[in-house]
This record gives sequence, structure tokens and C-alpha cells, in this order.
Amino acid sequence: MKTKLLKSLNQYRAYVLVVVMFACGVFGKNFYTAYNIKAILDSTLLYAFLGVGFTLCMVAGHMDLSVAAMANLGAVLTMGFHTFSGMSWGPAMILAILAATLAGVINGVMISKAKIHSFIATLGMQFVLKGVMYIYSKGAEISDKGDFGFADILNKWLKPLPITPKILIMLVIVIVVAVLMRNTRFGRNIYMIGGNAETAWLAGIKSSRYTILIFAFSGACCALGGALFAIAQSSALPNMGEKGISPLLVALAATIIGGTDTNGGRGSVWNTFVAVLGLMVMSFVLSNIFGKFEVQILANGLILAICVFYETITAYYNNKKIGIRQPLLEQRQKELESAQ
Amino acid sequence: MPNSTNTTVRKDTRTQEMNKFMVIVNRLGIYVVVALLLIAGQCIRPDKFFTFSNINSVLQAVSLTGICAVGLAFIVYSANFNDMSLPMTIAFSGMVSVQLLQYNFVLSILGGIAAGLLMGAVNGFVIGKLRAHPIIWSMAFNFVMSGIVRWAWAGNQIYPDTITENAATAEQFYALARTYLGKSIGLQIPLMVVVMLVMFVIGHVILTYTSFGNQLKIIGSNYDVGRLSGINCARVVFIAYMINALCAAICGIFLASLSKVGAYYNGEGYDFECVTAVLLGGMTLAGGKGNMVGVFGGVLTVGLLTNVMNLLGIPTFNQYLVQGVVFLFIVWINTNSARKLGKS
Repeated sequence: MKTKLLKSLNQYRAYVLVVVMFACGVFGKNFYTAYNIKAILDSTLLYAFLGVGFTLCMVAGHMDLSVAAMANLGAVLTMGFHTFSGMSWGPAMILAILAATLAGVINGVMISKAKIHSFIATLGMQFVLKGVMYIYSKGAEISDKGDFGFADILNKWLKPLPITPKILIMLVIVIVVAVLMRNTRFGRNIYMIGGNAETAWLAGIKSSRYTILIFAFSGACCALGGALFAIAQSSALPNMGEKGISPLLVALAATIIGGTDTNGGRGSVWNTFVAVLGLMVMSFVLSNIFGKFEVQILANGLILAICVFYETITAYYNNKKIGIRQPLLEQRQKELESAQ
Repeated sequence: MPNSTNTTVRKDTRTQEMNKFMVIVNRLGIYVVVALLLIAGQCIRPDKFFTFSNINSVLQAVSLTGICAVGLAFIVYSANFNDMSLPMTIAFSGMVSVQLLQYNFVLSILGGIAAGLLMGAVNGFVIGKLRAHPIIWSMAFNFVMSGIVRWAWAGNQIYPDTITENAATAEQFYALARTYLGKSIGLQIPLMVVVMLVMFVIGHVILTYTSFGNQLKIIGSNYDVGRLSGINCARVVFIAYMINALCAAICGIFLASLSKVGAYYNGEGYDFECVTAVLLGGMTLAGGKGNMVGVFGGVLTVGLLTNVMNLLGIPTFNQYLVQGVVFLFIVWINTNSARKLGKS
């Protein structure tokens, strides 16, 4: 009974985090206001997109360290195309997303064709993208020069609901990807590749093509998130989020808390989104109660570490049980007892 | 058993075809790149490049990375990918050692190293004994430690001269990174460079000539084979993490001394920089391949590349692009040569 409860708690830990942290808002001041809830939802924008990309790659058994750089690229290029080249927002965003997709395709080719470990390939890509961004933006902040029209549309509060259009776009993307992963052949094949690459290959899945697709999709997704984030903020920096908590770490934490297996083959995009929501609720609650940035980092890290530690311990004891036959064990114990 | 005496030993007549170029790449590895960079540097600035002070400055610039890379090589060698908690190990040991300056100089150094070893012990236990995913766990641990360090010092930086009332102690601490050896023979070699070279020699001896190094190689090549052949895998991986933490702690103390401040952001970027150097040196993330001589070549490459680009006048931020492309290209060549030779 006790273990069963613990198991189901662990299975739905992302939801548990959201509920517990939301309940902790009782200790804060003015926490349950519509504006505050809207602000919490707004803050999930970038991290949810990064989490989707990261989760896809991790389900397929890879790591994509370049998600933060991809989002940054999307932000800088969109803003740059609009401000420097005078494009309207639509083409600028599409071009930026295409650029990030290209980077993702290069990632995928390096990993699947050249057989470079995904950790190294995306690490190198991170530096390359950083260089590209600094060269393009000359290391300075790019603003949209007072053209707030689209930003206002994105940030408009749809009054009775605590939702803004940018969050609607994010939700649509998350749900589409979740359905894609859950109910289509494409998605199930990704799970299969992550679970056992060799079996997938024997089953006739072209795993290299899938790897390239996944990384391209991850790049596009992150770039879209970065572009929306930059437009809503009306500015883009080439070193977005390097101070404080890095977006990569939040994406990683959300993916792990959402229950994605670190070795691939298990996980869900929707749970990752819920975990992002939970982390954001937590940071809002903590900043409301303590007002200190350090506590937020500590709490984020602790929750991530506890999740990783719990899974490790479970796997450790499960590994110990492999090969033990329960009836024989019980018989042996009975023999020992009768001998005494 | 009638057959066992009659079997004749058949000679293996199959020939192994090895791509000659790939053999050269695999053996000489990174030193080809080092030589190319040296030639390029000589071509760009014939008057300035091969001076003692320039080479010395290259070595000094990479000495901290090199010290860390020695330790990280053990982790990569044992197929544990990368230690992402390096930045906080560096920062934490630096901060503890600055904080302990209020008592004593010797105590501060020992305390700094002990702080680093403590983190190494946690990593070693969770990854070696419980077998957590190395990257994920060390990232999570880095996150936790960064929270603890910021919380404990309230997000502040600490300065040696305000911590200690004795000005001589602070001066002693500052002098750590500013000591030059060999003045009597007319050379000025910084202490950091000497420490790095000594650590590379010690690391090479440990990795190549001891039973620990051999056990690490078996574990890195195939963990299950290591376990089944009776190696205490948990202990070996634990020691590897302790060595890594020791190197990171020494680096952290030098860094605090060099920048005259103990701060939570001190080690930022070292995780990726060191793994770059280690991977350039021919070690692979699959583990069990490469050696310390190669890692030294990798560290030299990082330093020389920056130096050559600085001589060319490329701005700092644009250097990221060149570094990334060179890194990916060399890693691709390494991987490719290993695959052509059937080693991977």
C-alpha cells in the first residue's frame, strides 16, 4: 500500500509539484490574483518550447545541449531581420526558424551519419551558434525600435481567462507535439529508437532519418519559442539567460521531473510542460515568500536532484533483484528458519 | 576426449587492412594540429610568435584549464562522459579557501581542497556506487551546489583582504598565482604552469603505469566485463571522481588567488572548456581510449588557437565560431579514424 502510493506519487510528480506549490501560495501575499496567474503562465513560454525540444531528443536517446542556443538564435535573427533588414514579422520569423532548422539538420547529420556522440556534436554546435549570433548582432542588444504592434497582440490579456495569445500558441504546439508523440507512427517510432536502437533498426525503422528529423524539429521548436519570447520582450540579446538560471538547466530539470527516462524510450511532452509550469509556480511562490533569488535556484536544483536520486536508487535496487527467483528465496528462508 | 589432442593449430591468414593515413591520424592525433598552429603562428608574426614570453603566456593562459583537464581525463576515460559540476567544484573550493583565510594560510589551502574532495565524494558515490546517469546527475548537483553556495554567502563575493585582518596572509594568498620560478637561470615560469606540467606527468603515470589505470581502462571499455573480471567498479570510479575533484579544487584555489575574489561564478565555462581540451586530445566519450600525452596536446591546441586568433586580431566573441568549427572537425576526424581502424 505504502509503496503503491509512493509509486503513483512518483508517476504524477509533475502534477504533485504544481498542486503543492500552488497550495503554498497561501503563505504569500496576494498570490491568487488573476494577474499573478497570468504572469506565471507567461513565464513558461520560453521554457516550455525548450522542454519540448529537449524531451523529444531525450526520448530518442540523445541529448540536445544546443536548445538554449537555438532559441537564442531564433530570437536574435527574428529581431535582426525585422530591425536591420526591414522585413515584416512573419517572414522574419519563418527565416529565423528555417535557419535554426538547418542547424538542427546539421546536428542530426553529425550524430547519425558521422557517428559523433550527441553530447559533443550539440556542444560544438552551441559554440558555433554563439559565434554566429555575436557576429550578426555585433555583441549588442537588438531592439524592435518602437514597433510594438505585434508585441501588443501577443501580450494582450484575454480578460476572463488568465491567458495571452502567445501562451495559446505555445499550448497548441505542446498539444500537437504530445498527440504526435502519443498517437502517430512517427511518435511511436521515436520511442522505439530510444528504447532500443538495434531493435528499431531490425524492425525496419530508418533511425538515422528519424534522428535528423528529431533534431531539426527540436531546432525549429526552440527557435519559434525564442522568436515569440523576443517579440514579446521587444528585444533580443545574444547571451539570453546566461545570468541567473540558464534556460538549458530549466529545460533539463523539467524534462527529468516530467518523468523522461535519461536513457531514452520513456517520457512525455505534456508531462514536461506540466513540470515547467510547476517550476515556474515554485519560483513565483518562493519569490513571493522569501523575495530571494538564491532560494529559487536552491529549490530548483534540490527538486531536480531529488528526482534524479530517487530514480537512481530505484534502478539500483531493481538491478539487485534481477535474477533472484522469489519462490526459491522464500523456500531458502523457510529452511533457515526451521534450522534455527 | 579424443579430439582435443588431434586438433592442429590453424594459422590466422586473414590480413588486417589498415588505412595508413588513419593510423597516422590515430597515433599522432592532435600534435599534427599543434604543429600546424605553430607554423601558422610563425607565418603570421615571425618577429613575435616564437619568443619565450609568448609561449609562456600561451602556457599560462591554459594552465588552469590544463589542471582541470588532467582530472577530467580520468572521468572521460572511465566512460562517464563529463563532470558538469566542475564549475561549482572550482567556485566552492575557491570560496571556502578564501573564507578560511581568516584563520591561517595553510588551513585555507587544505580547507579548499577538502571542500572540493567533499563534492567529488558525493559525485563518486552517486555515480560510481548507485550508477546515476553521469551528465544528468552532475548537472543536477551543480544546480544544487550553486544554490547552496549563493544561499550560504547570500549571493555575495568575498575578498581576501576584507576576510583576514592580517594583510600578510592575504598577500600570501595573492602571491600563489603570481609566483615565478627559475629566476636564477633567467627564466620566469609561473608556478601555475609548473603545477600543470607536474600534474600532467603524475596523471600520465597513474593512467598508464598503475593497476588503477588499467582497471579504469577496462571499466571504460566495457563496464560489465570489468565487473565480471572482479574489479571493484564502484571503488575505481569513486577514486576517479576524487582525482577529478582534487584537480578542480587546486584549479579553484589558483583561480581565486588570480582573480583576488571568491565568487560563485568563478568556474563558469570550465566544464565545456575542459571537455573540449580532453576530447581534442583523442579521448572519446565511449571511454577507454586516448592518453594523457594527447590531452596535453589538446590543452596546447586550445591555447595556441586562441593565441593565433588574437595575433590575427579576431574579436573575442567571433572566436567562438572558429573554436566550435575546429572542435567539431577534429572530433569528427578522431571518430572517423577510430571507425576506419575498427576501434569503435
